Amino acid sequence: MSLAVESSPRTAISLLPLRYAIRELRSGLRGFYVFIACIALGVMAIAGVGSVAGSLAAGLSEQGRTLLGGDVSLSLIQREAKPDELAFLRAHGTVSVAATMRAMVRAPDGQLALTEMKAVDAAYPMLGALALEPSMPVAQLLAERNGAFSAAVDPVLLARLGLKIGDRVNIGEAAFEIRSAVTSEPDKLAGGIGFAPRVLVSEEALRATHLLQPGSLVRWIYRVRLPDNNATDAGAKAFIDATRATLPNAGWEIRSQSNASPQLERTIKRFTQFLTLVGLAALLVGGVGVANAVKSHIDRRRDVIAAFKSLGAPASRIFAIYLTQVMMLAAIGSLIGLAVGAALPFVIVGLFGKLLPLPVEPALHGGELAMAFVYGLLTALAFGLWPLARIHDVPVAALFRDTVSEERRRPRLPYLIGMAAVIALLIAVVIALAYDKRIAAIFVAASIVVFALLRALAAGLMAVARRLPRPRGTMLRLALSNIHRPGALTPSVVLSLGLGLAVLVTITQIDGNLRRQFMAALPDHAPSFYFIDIPSTDAERFDAFLKQQAPNATVEDVPMLRGRIVSARGVKAEDLKPTHDAEWVLQSDRGLTYTAEVPRGSKVVEGEWWAPDYSGPPLVSFEKKLADGLGLKIGDEVVVNVLGRNISATISNLRSVDWQSLGINFVLVFSPNAFRGAPHTHIATLTPPTTSADEDARIVKAVANAFPMVTSVRVREALQTIGTVVTNLVLAIRGASAITLLAAILVLGGALAAGHRHRVYDAVILKTLGATRARLLGAYALEYLMIGIATAVFGVLAGSVAAWLIVTRLMTLGFVWQAGNAAAVVAAALAVTVGLGLAGTLSALNRKPASVLRSL
Amino acid sequence: MDNLTASPASSVPSATRDATPSISITNLDLSLGTGAARVHILKNISLRIATGEAIGLVGASGSGKSTLLMVMAGLERPDSGEVVVNGTSFNALDEDALARFRGRHVGIVFQSFHLIPTMTALENVSVPLELAGHPDAAARAARELELVGLNERLHHYPRQLSGGEQQRVAIARALAPDPAILVADEPTGNLDETTGQQIVDLLFAQHAARGMTMVLVTHDAALAHKCDRVVRLRSGQIETPEPERRWTETA
Repeated sequence: MSLAVESSPRTAISLLPLRYAIRELRSGLRGFYVFIACIALGVMAIAGVGSVAGSLAAGLSEQGRTLLGGDVSLSLIQREAKPDELAFLRAHGTVSVAATMRAMVRAPDGQLALTEMKAVDAAYPMLGALALEPSMPVAQLLAERNGAFSAAVDPVLLARLGLKIGDRVNIGEAAFEIRSAVTSEPDKLAGGIGFAPRVLVSEEALRATHLLQPGSLVRWIYRVRLPDNNATDAGAKAFIDATRATLPNAGWEIRSQSNASPQLERTIKRFTQFLTLVGLAALLVGGVGVANAVKSHIDRRRDVIAAFKSLGAPASRIFAIYLTQVMMLAAIGSLIGLAVGAALPFVIVGLFGKLLPLPVEPALHGGELAMAFVYGLLTALAFGLWPLARIHDVPVAALFRDTVSEERRRPRLPYLIGMAAVIALLIAVVIALAYDKRIAAIFVAASIVVFALLRALAAGLMAVARRLPRPRGTMLRLALSNIHRPGALTPSVVLSLGLGLAVLVTITQIDGNLRRQFMAALPDHAPSFYFIDIPSTDAERFDAFLKQQAPNATVEDVPMLRGRIVSARGVKAEDLKPTHDAEWVLQSDRGLTYTAEVPRGSKVVEGEWWAPDYSGPPLVSFEKKLADGLGLKIGDEVVVNVLGRNISATISNLRSVDWQSLGINFVLVFSPNAFRGAPHTHIATLTPPTTSADEDARIVKAVANAFPMVTSVRVREALQTIGTVVTNLVLAIRGASAITLLAAILVLGGALAAGHRHRVYDAVILKTLGATRARLLGAYALEYLMIGIATAVFGVLAGSVAAWLIVTRLMTLGFVWQAGNAAAVVAAALAVTVGLGLAGTLSALNRKPASVLRSL
Repeated sequence: MDNLTASPASSVPSATRDATPSISITNLDLSLGTGAARVHILKNISLRIATGEAIGLVGASGSGKSTLLMVMAGLERPDSGEVVVNGTSFNALDEDALARFRGRHVGIVFQSFHLIPTMTALENVSVPLELAGHPDAAARAARELELVGLNERLHHYPRQLSGGEQQRVAIARALAPDPAILVADEPTGNLDETTGQQIVDLLFAQHAARGMTMVLVTHDAALAHKCDRVVRLRSGQIETPEPERRWTETA
């Protein structure tokens, strides 16, 4: 028998930690609520963001064909397909033709509004359904009746111009009767976010407006629906390859289901990553809560740990018991977070389904949820290991005598190695799963720096408090000594408050800057108007007209063509490997211009500008950052397709461009001889010294009367449209950040509560010695205030630097420090710290000394 | 009687208790604290305790008696000197090996019980058996609890038990692995006189029944004199060397 015991079944032993962990948790989760909440909040944020993004991606791919309007969509800018091109397309499937351009619509009372006009044929829509109010067949909608063309318009336009169904409007030289309102378009997203409300007309009507001038900014879109037996990804690819091979110089932008909306997908990915980082920040803050909770749990369990040791359990076994417990709690928290996060897309669709302009297909996304779960467990492990490692050194002697001095020993080497491994794994997962690994790496590095700085701040604060001359006032002395005494709250309060504050300041500063950018004041000298589609023959007359209408304003006017980069430095555009930041230049057509002089708002940073009378082979000036992103340098050749013709030019210089001036800026600027003879239009800006709504309306009206084919875009309105989108993004950022904040407050509350027992002891002893409650309260408030102020200063500094980096580097926007926001954050932080601290202390103060002294 | 280990240092049947001492301490010195706060607690202690002997360790507060007890249980490591318990020299064991040794050979009873508050009486008593990998821990724990008269209280949590009952559970827990040595640190210190007496009776009854070596730290002179021998400590030293005849008397 005695031999058998030593070699007793190992399985029973390996289950022991689990059994003991469950026994300990059987009595309830008291003391672990902050732990569980911290993990749940962080996991919820990450799982929620991942689930919503996953549902969105699923929706986009599910409805990709519908969004595209066919199996393959080919678009041309500024020109129609030639008969042979169209014949080629028609030979391969059903074709639906659409054209879009911006235009001014004029109400009978003379009011004008910018619209996004779309001309369609009877085959529209080939996929999905057009929702009209009142509903009618498309053919009927587009028919000419009573000497007027028909139009269906966005209800927003009706409201803006005070119109109703049946009213008449003019666009260009054609008259329209509004027959219906467009409530949803199946292919709306593919065209990106429009600046103006939609007007749907027939192709015939579009021609009747006479707005189609050579060089007008019109986009012709040819949707091809392949025969049903060939409507597969492979079929689409084969068709695209055949089109490219047969018509290599058409210069069209070809999209299939697999890249229906790359811009949107990229935006979603980027934004998802940003929100995931915010979620990780929540987990990071929560990790501090985990560490605090585990530490105080281990402190409370010192006797039990010692008892286990006295009963023959090796330290590693006890460590296993509490590690199991921590992981069980982390799993509980993670599961709660997962449940809420997974439900988020369903909730969003349930609440806002109709309002969303995006096709969200709510579903459970196993990958995203598993990732969030892993994040939750790894965070708990990374932050729990340090306090857990102390188990090893809990002396059994504690059971015989009270250990007064708490030995602050660093965990033993194996634990440190384990911890390093877990942290390395966590970092690896964060970076490996990130869309933009560089940003993720920066986030990780910044987190480590902030952590280190906060530890240093706490240590510094304690050192200063220790070295300060002893003040005469008892309460001040008490406050100071509370900051630096052994086992003081300072490190954990500084860490949780500092992290929370840094995140809060970062978010409010970004938020404030985005609002400033899009909603408040426009940049200095920003134009009030853009005028597009000015026929080149009318350009000078238009300039003169504007100067006469607004004598004090600045008028800028440049020729404008649209073209796609076909190849650069001898490499085809689809084979160039641009950086993330430069991808967009290749994805669609770009505005091009030519000029003899360096454009305003630009500065040549490399190379030489061409001579005013230059007449050699075409030259081009490239924007510096994008040239770098595409791997281009001076002397490289760039080929652009303009109006179906390939034009090649040599890069002669690189410019830096101040995009924020909102002036007319182009990535590519050509020498004047590059486009000789190509039909094109001009684009002009008007920058008056002062603006008013009435004056704006007057100019729009005057321009529309004198130049019916010119379209006026009010910058303020366009920015407001962007602003609405930005507001929604800011709301999402705020939602995710609120979770981080909640975690920070929980952690702070938890940290303050951890010191509660000590407070009660102090308060009782001081009360027996004659201290009044008011004096004690004053001392505590003073202590919290001192810690709070020091931490707030750090939080504001760290947060401002982080926000500045994000706004200027990541968003490439201007940064203005928002003093008001920062002050509000500091005030709120101090109120919360002192408030939370005193709330806990108040109950300590009200304890009757006798009852506490008896149990001491 | 079950023997929970296969090591050569297994508990010795009482008939041979004179052959090797159960506890042998030689030239032991121990200091606690660091730097200026370092205190020399035990000074050149040598002590032999025979197998099956009951020893009362007495002395003023701070004389080092609890520390000496901890040394015997392998909870405190001396600066110098040798401790051999049940034939095993502690000097050769690392921390984990000491813990395992303790689990099998040394039972400890504390003044303030130190039961695990989240476990029932039965579970508390099961712990050392489970840790040692005993296949039938719960049944054996139940039997131990019955022996200390708590068969009605198996599923009560410590806070649902009186002080006396808690100490009985602690004794059952200490005795469960059938240790060769039982050390008790003022086992009646937290109990009233009547309850304390019951605990003392229980301890001595179990000592007699199991033939184990027992070391009691106590302030209670009456309790000390129930022991086979009294060892008095003063300022970290054994006050008078024990006369050799007491050895034979107790043998």
